[in-house]
Amino acid sequence: MKKRKLLALLLAGSMMLGLAACGGGTQGGSESPSGGGETVSGGETEGKTVKVGLICIGDENDQGYTYNFIRGKEAVTEALAEKGITIDWQIKWNIGEDSSCEDANIELAEAGCDLIINNSYGFEPFMLKVAPDYPEIEFIACTNQASAVDDLPNTHNAFANIYEGRYLAGVVAGMKLQEMIDNGEITADQAVIGYVGAYSFAEVISGFTAYYLGAKSVCPSVTMKVQFVGSWSDATEEGNAAQALCDAGCVMISQHSDNTTPATAAQNAGAFHTGYNNDMISVAPEASLIGTRIDWSVYFEYAIEAVANGEEFEQDWCHGMDEGAVVMTPLNEEIAAAGTAEKLAEVEEAIRSGELQVFDTTTFTVEGQPLTTCMALDTDGDFVADSEEAVFDGAFHESYFQSAPYFTVQIDGIEWLNSAY
Amino acid sequence: MHDSNNPLIRLAKREGMPKGQVWAIRACSFLAAILISALIFLLMGHNPFGAFGTMIVGSLGKKTAIRQTVKIAIPLLGTALAIAPCFKMRFWNIGAEGQITAGAVGASYFALFWADKLPSPVLLVVMAVSGAICGGLWALVPAFFKAKWGTNETLFTLMMNYIMIGVVKWLQGGPWEGRPGSQIIPQFDSAAVLPKVLGVHCGWIIVLILTVAMFFYMKYTKQGYEIAVIGESEKTARYAGMNVGKIIMRTMFLSGAIAGLVGFIVASGADNTLYSGVAAGVGFTAITVAWLAQLNPFAMVGISVLLGVLDKGADTLQTQLAVPASISDIITGIFLFCMLGCEFFINYRLIFRGSHKEVAK
Repeated sequence: MKKRKLLALLLAGSMMLGLAACGGGTQGGSESPSGGGETVSGGETEGKTVKVGLICIGDENDQGYTYNFIRGKEAVTEALAEKGITIDWQIKWNIGEDSSCEDANIELAEAGCDLIINNSYGFEPFMLKVAPDYPEIEFIACTNQASAVDDLPNTHNAFANIYEGRYLAGVVAGMKLQEMIDNGEITADQAVIGYVGAYSFAEVISGFTAYYLGAKSVCPSVTMKVQFVGSWSDATEEGNAAQALCDAGCVMISQHSDNTTPATAAQNAGAFHTGYNNDMISVAPEASLIGTRIDWSVYFEYAIEAVANGEEFEQDWCHGMDEGAVVMTPLNEEIAAAGTAEKLAEVEEAIRSGELQVFDTTTFTVEGQPLTTCMALDTDGDFVADSEEAVFDGAFHESYFQSAPYFTVQIDGIEWLNSAY
Repeated sequence: MHDSNNPLIRLAKREGMPKGQVWAIRACSFLAAILISALIFLLMGHNPFGAFGTMIVGSLGKKTAIRQTVKIAIPLLGTALAIAPCFKMRFWNIGAEGQITAGAVGASYFALFWADKLPSPVLLVVMAVSGAICGGLWALVPAFFKAKWGTNETLFTLMMNYIMIGVVKWLQGGPWEGRPGSQIIPQFDSAAVLPKVLGVHCGWIIVLILTVAMFFYMKYTKQGYEIAVIGESEKTARYAGMNVGKIIMRTMFLSGAIAGLVGFIVASGADNTLYSGVAAGVGFTAITVAWLAQLNPFAMVGISVLLGVLDKGADTLQTQLAVPASISDIITGIFLFCMLGCEFFINYRLIFRGSHKEVAK
């Protein structure tokens, strides 16, 4: 008796599974036709749908790196809706920089995406394993650099000139420091910035150097200490590093890492702070002066619109303030030095017009000497830059030969506390 | 009627349940897992039929999907096979994670520095042997301490995991790093990549051969018998003249070597590089696989594929129905919980106060 009941239950269960499988089958079937992209053809942009895959290393809860991509995603969805282009997003969250990234690319390709965006540097090698199998799909690896050498027409790289934003944040920090010196709160040589960096990676080095040069342009006596934490995102370690920097006498903290803990640590230690990726004023209202972030929607709009119209788009894209791809988060007027907003507008305009070069070689020295030569790209795969002279016309040209940053010079005035990472 | 001295529910060991009933309980638990998962989908606002359908189509509906499911199942099966002899011996090796990683390091050394010096087939064999030896030696350390001084193998093997993962982190940021500061070891040369058979790296053939080999080893060899005797009673084994310490070390080396081989398969076949997450929790999930399969190698095949289906299916669910990624973990957890939980009802029965009727479910 009991057995029969069980059997019945079992049958019911298998039927349910069977039904479910059928349901899924039709669903999968209805989805594949949209793979072609332009569901409504015709010369106009009216009523087009683009299926875009986005592979994220985190999720929006990180309030930093991936969250910034999600903001870009939302902005571009709105912007393109006005142009009559609908974006059907397929998003993979919390993907590792390993073969699961390859799987994610395959899955999105099979789901019929026209364009697949990989948001983390380490995704690129896995994306490149999938891209050759789907020549009709465009693959984008943000912040990486292989599209120039991989011989695949459907791979792309993109980044933004975030060093421009860093420079501006540095100007804000420098003005605050100079004001503190002028008010007698600190002496000129106590104007020390502490910088929490993830790794001694080109993107980080380029960022903090630009930041330092921005500060130095308005506060000549400033120096900087950099502490690497060995992780892109480790809230505790970032906070500890900021605390240690404050203990070592730093009165201004900035960061290239994902969390807000350096901001709160700075506030607790009575120091000031400038942020990255996100507006941190709400978590540290007495410390956070300003932040800078990449507005990814600018690139997304460019790329997705191109795909919707069946046009080619650049394989290596990099823009900054000129196209609004780098933006500043709101200035904390309560605590910023007097006149910061005006100065900020002035410098921003100078960068936008190209009149001001962030890495102007007259503004910094390397071991006491001006920088006269520095290669930009590595073409033979040994990870040492060997081609394309980046120093010309009186400046080091960052992100000029490729979108991914390549400034790795240690300049005078910046002290690396640890270079283990 | 109310015997207040007795607790409301008592447990009693149950012996010799008929086979049919055992399988009925298992089927019920599977059903329960489906129902509970369905409830979760409902709570999330999704049609459970559609959700399960998406999972099945997503994991088995297409050639590419099946390939990915198999790719997930390969290291699970391999590692479950690796820990089976240890568990049979009642030596709780929960260090497979570290042994996989150690194997991957051993294999990666040759992939990174010998790729231009050896022809591809030779290189792959060297990588496999090196991976197996590294994994085996890493497992030998806790076995040696256990055999010599009776240290606790559970804690010891667990701690060894973190050491090995730390070593890989150091390699990633130090001597083996590619682009400075990137923390990424370059991709292997194509000579060091396992060839694909039917669209999936040939690791699947290796683990299937291992499955058969392990079955025979455990069932028909003298060493397999020794392992079983020690598992039943160490004293009996000693009395029968077996060198228990030696057998422990030999079995652990074998276990670690298979885990190391899995490390080689994952690094060479799937990732084509080495990174600290190479084991990706497989060393722990494989314990569940081995346990659910009751250490039967052939049952492990089915269970690792089932986990692959769940894993891949939940992944598709996340993209197509936009359910949070953590739901995939919850669903997998529910299935494992129900399936492991049902073994409890197979081994024990509940006796309610005031009644002596057996409760089958």
